[in-house]
Amino acid sequence: MTGRRVDDGLDRGQPFQFFLDGEAIVAYPGESIAAALVAHGRNVARRTTRADVPRGYFCGMGVCWDCVMVVNGTPNVRTCRTEAAPNMKVQTQRGVGEAS
Amino acid sequence: MADLPKDTDILVIGAGIAGLCSALYLARAGRTVAVVERGEPWGDASGANAGTLSLQVKRPEVLHITRRAIELWQDFKADFGIDVGFGRPGGLRVATNAREVDMLRHSQAEQRTLGIEVEWLDGNRLRDTAPWLGPTVLAATWCDWDSYSSPLQAGRALIDGARRDGVAVIGGAAVTAIAKETKGYRVTTALGVIACNTLVIAAGAWSGEVAAILGVTLPVSADVNMLSVTEPAPHLIDKVVTHIGGILSLKQYPNGTCLIGGGWQGQGGLASGRKEIDHEQLMHNFRVAIGVVPALANLRLVRSWSGFEGVAADALPLFGPLPGRPAAYVNACARGGYSQGPALGLLMAELISAGRTSLPMERFYPARFAS
Amino acid sequence: MIDTDLAIIGAGAAGLAAATEAVEHGLTVTIADDNPRAGGQYFRQPPLPFRRNGQSWFDKEATRANALFDVLGHPKVTHIPDAVVWNLPEPNVLAVAAGDRSTRVRAGAIVVATGAHDRPVPFPGWTLPGVITAGGAQNLLKGNRMVPGRRIVVAGNGPLLFVVGASLVRAGVDVAAIVEAAPVNARLTAALPGLLAAPKLLRQAIDYRWTLLRAGVPVRTGMTAVAAHGEENVNAVSIAPIDGEGRIDRNRIERVDCDALVVGFGLTPSVELMRLIGCDLDFHPARGGWLPRRSTGFETSVPGVFAAGDGAAIGGVEIALLEGRLAALEAAVRLGRARDASVRRAALTHKLARIDRFRRAIERLFAAPCHYLDLLADDTVVCRCEEVTAGELKMRGREAWTSMVQLKSTTRLAMGRCQGRNCMATLASLVAQSMGEPIAKLAYPRTRPPARPIALGDLLHEPIAPPELPADPHLPRGQKVT
Repeated sequence: MTGRRVDDGLDRGQPFQFFLDGEAIVAYPGESIAAALVAHGRNVARRTTRADVPRGYFCGMGVCWDCVMVVNGTPNVRTCRTEAAPNMKVQTQRGVGEAS
Repeated sequence: MADLPKDTDILVIGAGIAGLCSALYLARAGRTVAVVERGEPWGDASGANAGTLSLQVKRPEVLHITRRAIELWQDFKADFGIDVGFGRPGGLRVATNAREVDMLRHSQAEQRTLGIEVEWLDGNRLRDTAPWLGPTVLAATWCDWDSYSSPLQAGRALIDGARRDGVAVIGGAAVTAIAKETKGYRVTTALGVIACNTLVIAAGAWSGEVAAILGVTLPVSADVNMLSVTEPAPHLIDKVVTHIGGILSLKQYPNGTCLIGGGWQGQGGLASGRKEIDHEQLMHNFRVAIGVVPALANLRLVRSWSGFEGVAADALPLFGPLPGRPAAYVNACARGGYSQGPALGLLMAELISAGRTSLPMERFYPARFAS
Repeated sequence: MIDTDLAIIGAGAAGLAAATEAVEHGLTVTIADDNPRAGGQYFRQPPLPFRRNGQSWFDKEATRANALFDVLGHPKVTHIPDAVVWNLPEPNVLAVAAGDRSTRVRAGAIVVATGAHDRPVPFPGWTLPGVITAGGAQNLLKGNRMVPGRRIVVAGNGPLLFVVGASLVRAGVDVAAIVEAAPVNARLTAALPGLLAAPKLLRQAIDYRWTLLRAGVPVRTGMTAVAAHGEENVNAVSIAPIDGEGRIDRNRIERVDCDALVVGFGLTPSVELMRLIGCDLDFHPARGGWLPRRSTGFETSVPGVFAAGDGAAIGGVEIALLEGRLAALEAAVRLGRARDASVRRAALTHKLARIDRFRRAIERLFAAPCHYLDLLADDTVVCRCEEVTAGELKMRGREAWTSMVQLKSTTRLAMGRCQGRNCMATLASLVAQSMGEPIAKLAYPRTRPPARPIALGDLLHEPIAPPELPADPHLPRGQKVT
């Protein structure tokens, strides 16, 4: 999945950056973490407990809990429902909540 | 699913922990056993309890039964190939005010006289042992016997294990009539009639109803215990946590979920069959839990439910021969009967097979209520 | 404890319409919603800072949406955003978890307008990153003005596929295919009279179809996705035809490359709260599955509890808007506060009947019997939370297919954070199939609170009297009145 922002002249406000496993990601105010990551082509939110397989943004409305990540040290944060913020530290989650 | 056999040597009524353990050890003793259950096997109290196997929270009268039971829980895998999700991290029984600290001291002293040693922890030693405890916890006793099993896993494993040993476990077979025959009993169930030589009532909270069919009154009431489970979370609580006031049980399973109980009462009862959450009692349960382990506040609640727990009027096990009814026994309502289950099952097998038990059990005979 | 005449659960189309109607009858309204901003899925608001030509940006529905949002500023309306109604401890009381704003709401009547989520259909690869639901795609588009990929396949069943496909095309995406299970093209002529009942909606539909046509998007009808491929992300999807009996023809599998797969097999209403308080439910697959049984006045079997919109039966936004109004009107009648009830009822019911004709035509157009269970391989995950596979279910099922409850407790299916939303429907189908029973006859496992996961810390804030503690914890704690 190589998502992107729709480029149709929309003024999204002042961009800022946050970090995915140390990598800088650009986001705009009000965007969810998951959306900003999708727009950056980073689709793996976590790896599962039993099978150790990747999962990412799925339902987009807070129902499925597949997009949970470690955000500023807090595990199991639904990134589809959490706005990105400047300098936020987002980490791919392993299993029940370890950061990878 | 197995069909109801026409006859069996021993018929156990109730496929919870007491019934299945009785059946398992009786089958091991070479007896032919069938277990009939009104609903789903493991569908009531045994499947809806906290899975706590704590020694130090038990009344003095049942300490030795419980210790034996924890040994048996631990050995299920080796003895029967039954994986009940057992863990023995040891447990902390906490006190959160001066009165509770006194109660805890008293309990520790009492347990010592019975040969059960628990260790006193407070101050830095307590914090070093359990840095996740909140500041409201003033002291705790440490008991290395305290364990847990997973009620979900244990149910499946015990039913499978019993069936492997030739026990017929049959759900949806509520008992509606029991007739005394020359030898044994003829029991009518929702699925048909089954004859047996010996009858064991292990119907938990419903044991009073079943005994009443035989004309025997057992003083049984039902608590409606609430339980809650959290989302799976990283390693947080590495001990079984209980409370001297009997208002909290807490543990984190290897899958990361935390199970929160403490005997807080839901709404409903046996007569109506309702078992509902009580909003304010549930709030209290969580507030106590978060007071003891503040980090719980960050975890999400996934499910709360309630289950019936049958309790005898004196909150001691109903164990032994049913008075005036030959070849009929009771094994039920042991108050925290889940943790004592394997020992009470083994002792019931001993009583039926050999007429005596390896621990003194007479004080728990239902005859104590005959007046 | 908040006291209110009407409590509304959900601030989407139905909930906002209900609030608008309620204040016109002078009712006080408390409306709780689990999103930070009102609008639900259809009227989802984009981030506040988004601007176009200096104006705050919204999509083409801005006018209608803003008119609906106006009610939240009404003096008789209390809006509790970011709030999960996690239980109905009594049929007229809402337990609301909202951080330190957590509270209970006691209401004269309740309108449940909880909306819907995508109906889950598991198939090999459906858990891969890059496979997202139609709802998820819409939320990226509406809520963030983003698209999930460059080359996208949209697969499943139902009108939403065409909406999503057209929206993606307009956003500049290469839509590699729309894969629609129903043979819609062959049915168009028959559907036309019903569709003409709502000309505006028909025009909209034609517009979507025209957008796809003009962009040259292949619309593959009578087919389904059978597998998504990839390691860390989807890179292709296999599709296959469905025959007249709903069987998947695996001899004619085609592979389509893509970097995102949007799946939508229709929606299913969020009925958890209604299950919790014991509303009678009926099984209507065409309307999304289990639905609350409602009177002609939109009241559930629990008196004073009304249900409206996609949370009660899938019907789309226009029906939700009308049902929301009607449910609030009937609630006002029940409270003895309604004004001009019969005139209003007649006008709203008339409009609803018209749109309902359109809805029924759409339903017939997209009716698509398909043996989705045949998609399951042994290693296909059914329960995404606990990673329970179809193979495990079949293995346990050999011993006891008799009960959903039993299979659930032996496999841990449905015990995770999504609380069964992505797996219970599949379990029900599997059990029904092996038992040879209709789904409607199965004993559905009891729903337990919370209706959605909530932080335990949220529950510290509500003021309650201190508890009575047991004098002797071992003794029976006493039976409550039954």
